Amino acid sequence: MDLKYVGKNIARPDAAPKATGRVQFLDDIRLPGLLHAAFLRPEYAHAKIISIDTSEAEKCEGVVKVVTGRECRFRYGENIKDRLPMAVDRVRWIGEPVAAVVAESVHQAQLAVKKIKAVYEPLPVYIDARDSLKKDAVLIHEDAPNFVRLPGMEPVPGTNIANRYTLKKGDVGKGFAEAEVVVEGEFNYPFSSSAAIEPHGAIVWFHEDKTIEAWSSSICPFIVREDMAHVYGLPISDVRVHIPEIGGCFGYKSDVTIEQTVAYVASFVPGRPVKWVATRKEDLLSTLIGHGFRTQIKIGAKKDGSLTALKTTILHSTGASMDTGIHVLIACTHNSTGAYEFPHCHLEGLSVYTNTPPVGAYRGYGHQESQFAMERMMDILARKLRMDPFALREKNYLGPGKVTSLGERLWESNGDVKKCADRVRGIVFANKKKPAEDDRYYYGRGFAALMKSPKGASFSSKSCYLKFNSDGSVSINMGGAEVGQGLRTVVRQVAAEALKISPERIRVYTEIDTQFSPWEWQTIGSMFTIQGGRAILRAAEKAIAQMKRTASQVLRVDEDRLVYDGDSIYLNHDPGVRVAVTKLARGYTYDDGVTVGEVVHTTADARLPRQSNPDACGQGTMGITYTFGAQACEIRIEKATGRVLIDHFVSCFDVGKVINPRQIRGQVTGGVMMAIGSTLHEELKFTPDGQAVNPHFSKYRFPTILDAPKKQTVEFVETPEQIGPFGARGIGEHPVIGVAPAILNAVHDAIGVDFCEIPLTKEKVLQAITAKRAR
Amino acid sequence: MAQTITFTVNGSAKSVEIEGWEKLIDVLRDRLNLTGTKRGCDDASCGACVVVVDGEAARSCVYLAKKLDGKSVVTIEGMSNGTALHPIQEALIEAGAVQCGYCIPGIVMALYALFTRKLDVSEDEILEELSHHLCRCTGYEAILEGARLAQKKMAERRG
Repeated sequence: MDLKYVGKNIARPDAAPKATGRVQFLDDIRLPGLLHAAFLRPEYAHAKIISIDTSEAEKCEGVVKVVTGRECRFRYGENIKDRLPMAVDRVRWIGEPVAAVVAESVHQAQLAVKKIKAVYEPLPVYIDARDSLKKDAVLIHEDAPNFVRLPGMEPVPGTNIANRYTLKKGDVGKGFAEAEVVVEGEFNYPFSSSAAIEPHGAIVWFHEDKTIEAWSSSICPFIVREDMAHVYGLPISDVRVHIPEIGGCFGYKSDVTIEQTVAYVASFVPGRPVKWVATRKEDLLSTLIGHGFRTQIKIGAKKDGSLTALKTTILHSTGASMDTGIHVLIACTHNSTGAYEFPHCHLEGLSVYTNTPPVGAYRGYGHQESQFAMERMMDILARKLRMDPFALREKNYLGPGKVTSLGERLWESNGDVKKCADRVRGIVFANKKKPAEDDRYYYGRGFAALMKSPKGASFSSKSCYLKFNSDGSVSINMGGAEVGQGLRTVVRQVAAEALKISPERIRVYTEIDTQFSPWEWQTIGSMFTIQGGRAILRAAEKAIAQMKRTASQVLRVDEDRLVYDGDSIYLNHDPGVRVAVTKLARGYTYDDGVTVGEVVHTTADARLPRQSNPDACGQGTMGITYTFGAQACEIRIEKATGRVLIDHFVSCFDVGKVINPRQIRGQVTGGVMMAIGSTLHEELKFTPDGQAVNPHFSKYRFPTILDAPKKQTVEFVETPEQIGPFGARGIGEHPVIGVAPAILNAVHDAIGVDFCEIPLTKEKVLQAITAKRAR
Repeated sequence: MAQTITFTVNGSAKSVEIEGWEKLIDVLRDRLNLTGTKRGCDDASCGACVVVVDGEAARSCVYLAKKLDGKSVVTIEGMSNGTALHPIQEALIEAGAVQCGYCIPGIVMALYALFTRKLDVSEDEILEELSHHLCRCTGYEAILEGARLAQKKMAERRG
C-alpha cells in the first residue's frame, strides 16, 4: 500500500503548547471557591483504629472541614469491591487515608493534619505474600468472601488469598513424564512505582443541582464517572469528568484510584470544589504501585530442546486491595510462557492480600515479571542441554499454527518473533566476539525474546467523533488519554491517510470531557493505535459515504460511480464532473440557496473483536493481536564497584506498521530506560513492619541521564496486522518486557553468576564478584 | 510572618506579600499564577520546578521566597513571546524530547541558564546539568539530542 502520511515523522500537535508551559495539568487548574485537601496517613501499616480526635485540627486557621472514615458506608472497585475511600475502623497499609482536612489553602490543610490525634492498636504486618499466606496469619480482610465481585473471582475463605487463577493447557503431568530434562527456578520482581513526574491528583465538586463534576489526571474518565454515579446514586449523565493534560501515566493513573477518596472528602463540603494533588511521598505510597511478583517456574524439555511442559506458580503480593491487581496477576500468569509454545501447561496465580499499597497497572502489566523468569530459564536450560540458546529458542517459538497457553491459534498476521530475534542477534552477537576481560571491566552480552498478549475487556471500545468543517479541515474528538505517548499525532496521521488530506488540516481535541467526548473504556494496554485507529477509519469511511450521498444528488449520478480524493468527489469515468468537499461539509447549497444533504460529521467505535471469557480450564480468546519482539544488550561490569554499564541496548518489535518513526523510537527508548531502572536501581522498599524506606525521589533511585545506555538501537519488523489501521500493532508497553532478562543474561555471560532477583544493584554484583574471586 | 518582597519576573516588576515559609514555586504558581513551573517532588530531586534566578538555575521548590527580594527571575513563561519559540524549545521539539511535557519547562530553564552562562560547553557539562532532571518518558536520548541541537541553534543565531 502506498501511504502518504503514515510512516512519516509528522510533528506532534501538542509539542509547542507543552514546551511553553502553557498546557494545563491537574494542579494548574484554578476554580472559584477552590478548597484544598490534605490527608492523615497511618502510623502503622496494619492496625485497629481506636480513636481519632479531630478537635484541635478543626480550630486551625483556614480549616473548613475535617473528615474521617467513620461515616463511610460504601466500598468500591471495578472487579471486586474491596477498596475504601478512607479507612473506617482499621488501617491496612502505610499510605491509606485515615482522615482529611479541607482548608482554604494546601498549607493550612497540611498544618491542620498534624493536629489530628489518632490512636491505633497495632496488628501483625505482612509485606510479602509468603508471610500473609502462613497458616496463623491474621486476615487482612475478614469479610473478603462477602465483597461484591465479578463472576470467577473467588477469595479463599479463612485465608489472605484474594483470588486463585488457574490456566491449564493439555496435561502437565504427561508433559513432565515426556521430559528428559527439567529445570526449576524462582524469580522476584519487587515493588516499584510508575512514578510519572506529574503526581496523581483530582478535583471533585458536588454541585448544588446534585450533579458531580470532577477533574483527574486519570486515563479512565468514563470509569470514574460510572463509579461515582453508582456510589452517589446519580444517573451516569449527572457526573461529568474532565481530564486535563496528563504528565505521564505508565499504568498507575488507570482504574479508579484516588478519585473516590477525593469525592468522599468533597461530599462533606458540597457547593465547593476540593483539590488534592499527591505529594511525591503520597504518589509513591497512596496511589497504585507496581509489580510484587514472585514466579516459581519449572520447565520440561527433551534432549533435542523441544519443550514439553511448563508449570508456573505466581505469588502476587497484591497489597491491601486486589481490585486493580487481579488482572495484572492474570496477565502475568498466562504470559509466563513467554514467546514459546508449550504443549502442556499448568499455570497458577495467587493474588494475596498484603499490608502494602495496592498494586495496579504498571507499563507491561504482568508481562515483564514472568517473562523475566522464562527468559532467564531459557538460557539456563540451554546450558543444561549444552545447546545454543538461540537454537533452543528457535525450536520453540510461537508462530503461525502454534497455540498459546490460552488455546489461541496464531497466524502469520500475529507477527514474527524469529525475524525480530534474528535482527537483534545480527546486531549484537553475529560475527563478533565480546571484548575480553581487562583490568577494569568484565564484558557480557545477553538476549531475551518476548511476547505481549492483548489485555482488555470484551466491551472495551474506543470511539471517534469526526467533523468536517466548511473549509475542508477536520476536527476529531476521541476519548483516548494523551499521556505523552503521542496519540494525537497518531490520530492525525491515521485520519489524514484515511481522508486523503494533509495532517495540518486535522485538529485533534485536547481535553477529555465526558460531557463532550465519545465513550472510551480506558486508554490502556497499548491498544489506542489499534482500536482508536480502527475507530478513525470507520468514522472516516462513514464521512466519505455521507459526502458521496450528497454528491450523488448534486452530480445526479449513482453513489457507486463516485470517487473521493480528499479535495473533491468526482465521477470515476469523467473526473471533470466533480464537486468540492468544501461545498459538501454542511450539505450542498445550490445557487438559489436551496440546500440538500447532511452535515458531514460521524461517529464510530471499535471494540476488541470476539474477546471471550475464559472456559473451565481458563482458556479463551483475548480478542486482538499478540505482538512479538526481541531485545539484547552489551554490558560492562566495573570490577571495582560492581556497577553494570549498558554500552548498547538493542530492541526489535514486530509492530505491523510504524505510524511515526520518531515517536515510536521515543516509546522504545523510554520504555527500555524505565525497565533498566527496574533492573538495576528501583525498588519501593518496606520494612518488615510495613514502613516505607524510600518514598522520596531523593531516596528512590529513579534513573537519570547518566544511567542511560551509551547507545540504543531500535528496529522494527512490519508483518501487517489484520485489525489495526494500515497493519499497525501497539508498542507502548512492549519495550519493558525483555530488559531485565537480557541484562541478567548478560551479567551471567560476564561473570558466570545467575541472578534471579532485581534490582541487581552494584552492591549485589560486587558481592558476587568478590565471592567468585575468593573461590 | 508576612513580609513584602520586590523582584522581577520575566522582566516585569512584582511586589508580593508572602509568608515566611513560602517557596519560590508557591509565589510563582499560587500568587502570580505562573503555572508553567512544575511541582514534581518537593525535595529538590526531579528538576521540574527549575527557574532561572539572577542567571542561575534554581530549584524553586526549595528556594525560600524571602531570599528573592531584589532578584530577577525568568520562568518558562518568559521564554517565548507569543509568536516565536526560544531556540531551546524549538530544538527539544524537533528532537522529539517532548512527550508528556511535564519535565520540559524545568529542562528548558536549566539549559537556558547553562547556555547563557557559556554556550560552548562540552557534552559532559550538558550531561551533568541534565542529570538533575528526571524524565520518565524519553529515556533521555531525545533530551540530549535536543540540548545539543539547542546549543547549535543558539550558536548560529549568535552568529
